[in-house]
Amino acid sequence: MNVLEIKNLTKKFGDFIAVDNMSLAVQEGEIFGFLGSNGAGKSTTINMIAGLLQTNGGEIKILDKNIASHSKLAKMNIGIVPQDLAIYEDMTAYENVRFFAGLYGLRGAELKERVEEALVFVGLLDKQKSLPKDFSGGMKRRLNIACAIAHRPKLIIMDEPTVGIDPQSRNYILTSVRKLNEMGCTVIYTSHYMEEVEEICSRIAIMDHGKVIAEGTKEQLKAIITDTRDIWVEVKNTENLEEAALKEIKGVNSISIEENVIKINSQSEVNNLNHIIQFFISRLIEIRSLQEQAPNLETVFLTLTGRNLRD
Amino acid sequence: MEIWIIFSKLIIILFIGFSYVHSETGNLAWSILLILLYISMNIPLYLVRMEKIKLCIHLGSFILICYSIQEVNPLFLLLLPMNFYEVSAAFFEKRWPLLLVGLLPLFFMEGNQAVYGLTALFSFLVFFMTGRYTERLTTYENKLDKMRLDMQRLSKSLNENQEYVRQSEYTYRLEERNRISQEIHDSIGHSMTGALIQMEAAKTLMAIDQAKAAELLQNAINISKEGIEDIRITLKNMKPPTEQMGLQRLKLQLEEFSIQHQLRMPFVYKGNIDLITPIQWKIITENITEALTNSLKYSGATEISIDIHVLNKLVRVEVRDNGSGIGSGKVVKGLGIVGMEERTASIKGTIIVDGTNGFSVTTLLPIV
Ligand SMILES: Nc1ncnc2c1ncn2[C@@H]1O[C@H](COP(=O)(O)OP(=O)(O)O)[C@@H](O)[C@H]1O
Ligand SMILES: [Mg+2]
Repeated sequence: MNVLEIKNLTKKFGDFIAVDNMSLAVQEGEIFGFLGSNGAGKSTTINMIAGLLQTNGGEIKILDKNIASHSKLAKMNIGIVPQDLAIYEDMTAYENVRFFAGLYGLRGAELKERVEEALVFVGLLDKQKSLPKDFSGGMKRRLNIACAIAHRPKLIIMDEPTVGIDPQSRNYILTSVRKLNEMGCTVIYTSHYMEEVEEICSRIAIMDHGKVIAEGTKEQLKAIITDTRDIWVEVKNTENLEEAALKEIKGVNSISIEENVIKINSQSEVNNLNHIIQFFISRLIEIRSLQEQAPNLETVFLTLTGRNLRD
Repeated sequence: MEIWIIFSKLIIILFIGFSYVHSETGNLAWSILLILLYISMNIPLYLVRMEKIKLCIHLGSFILICYSIQEVNPLFLLLLPMNFYEVSAAFFEKRWPLLLVGLLPLFFMEGNQAVYGLTALFSFLVFFMTGRYTERLTTYENKLDKMRLDMQRLSKSLNENQEYVRQSEYTYRLEERNRISQEIHDSIGHSMTGALIQMEAAKTLMAIDQAKAAELLQNAINISKEGIEDIRITLKNMKPPTEQMGLQRLKLQLEEFSIQHQLRMPFVYKGNIDLITPIQWKIITENITEALTNSLKYSGATEISIDIHVLNKLVRVEVRDNGSGIGSGKVVKGLGIVGMEERTASIKGTIIVDGTNGFSVTTLLPIV
């Protein structure tokens, strides 16, 4: 089932088109990544999904229901962690979560239970009485996540949740995203850090200038560019090397030798690393180092757009 | 529209009839006659086309109404406004003054002012509203017609595209056939003839000089072997020249443009160009042309680089100039860019327009 479906979504600011006829679908159980540089239109898209911004055309469906006519249903099923923090600095952590959960109609014992559950989830239960103004950036972000999940939404949208926070909080957040997903939540995760997206997302839309320019699993996205990878083996000496035999290994396309480095071009989907290593060992050729040169999502973005993700 | 006006006239007549019956004055026969007369004049009104005749009829009913008011019953006045609006609407643009004129009799009549006022307003409303909505309907119908035409035009151009693909495939096939026959003639034909001559000679020499004959036969065998090798090579080299054509055409065009406008135009292509289909070439060429024109018009660039890169599952074509670009990075799309987008979308591709570093238009086309 599609948790989110966007069709021909458009948003204009004056003459400028921030989101340009965008279409995509997020299925239940996915961690779906929006990857794109600053200004690609990620936040604008999310704000439209959240109903915070009017659209200039197109349609957004949550759980197969148009959000224009089912705004309540959409609200109850979405939890948003916005790019710009939305918490009250002078209310305690507990009060913040209670306030937001209360907006979704939770009351009484259930409210209390859910608030505590959310605080436990983000690891802030022991800080529930503290004021967010004393929190680090990472803690604030985690508190914001708690506010967004207390009402147990089916779809959680996180807009660049790791910008400007320490590595530890970052890991904590990435782990929480996975945990939420295992608990059955569908997650949309936006970022301009390709490592994160590559690490946690099951499917990714690469966005640029308000358009989705490529979409798929990370393997599919990389396969757009190439179906080969280079394996560089640095050896002590190349005397005993039988090139022909090396070429015989399944998946190997071509070989080039530069001084002591043997560059093996091989098909990506053939897992032949073992055979290659075996080849050198059996001929008593000493391996000094081994590197794999395969494209990552950054390469994909660069190759498609001609620009870096982080400019 | 007519039907509504006829109905409203009918309503007024009914009203007059009822009031008349209720007031119980005499002359029933007269008024029925007049009403029938009025009806019989006003029905043809909507059947004739000529404006002059219509005017005459209006005049006739006007006189009839006046007569009826005078002689039979002042209530007939109620029929007047509708006829008045009908006549005057043809001559005057402004509507509100007409309403005022229609209300004018209010000041000259005694009694029944309320009823007359109501009727005049009612007639005004019916007449101009139906007029307005009919007009609107007509514009919608016209629009619809126009859209139908557009659709026809578009589907025609789509067909033309398909025709283009078919055509170019045909041309390529023809050319290929020519090339093959040329090749066969040039190499294989010659060697076969050569071998034949040698064998003929061997046949005549067979009885006289066996050693010489054997030598000639060996020659023939060698020539035939070479011939077979030639065939193999010819077949191997016989890649369809489709893509070469697309590429050559583009190169030529770029060269021309570069000379004509005194611009540096480096052109690079990478990857397996053979994978680009004729329709993709067509769209690539059109997009490049469009992007070049834009660069020329807006950017003040001195260099425009063109880059075709065939990746594993995608063709990427970039046209980038070194001109002013868009300072804010916020490109506003004009017709040219929209055109490129539509063309490209028609074969499932995407366009990226970027103004942050000079101006660049990138066409992405999937390889299927
Ligand atoms: N309120 C606004 N008015 C004008 N332009 C805006 C507004 N909000 C966003 N934009 C522009 O829309 C584009 C997309 O922005 P955004 O969605 O924030 O991108 P991202 O989240 O991918 O970094 C940017 O060029 C931004 O400057
Ligand atoms: Mg953003």
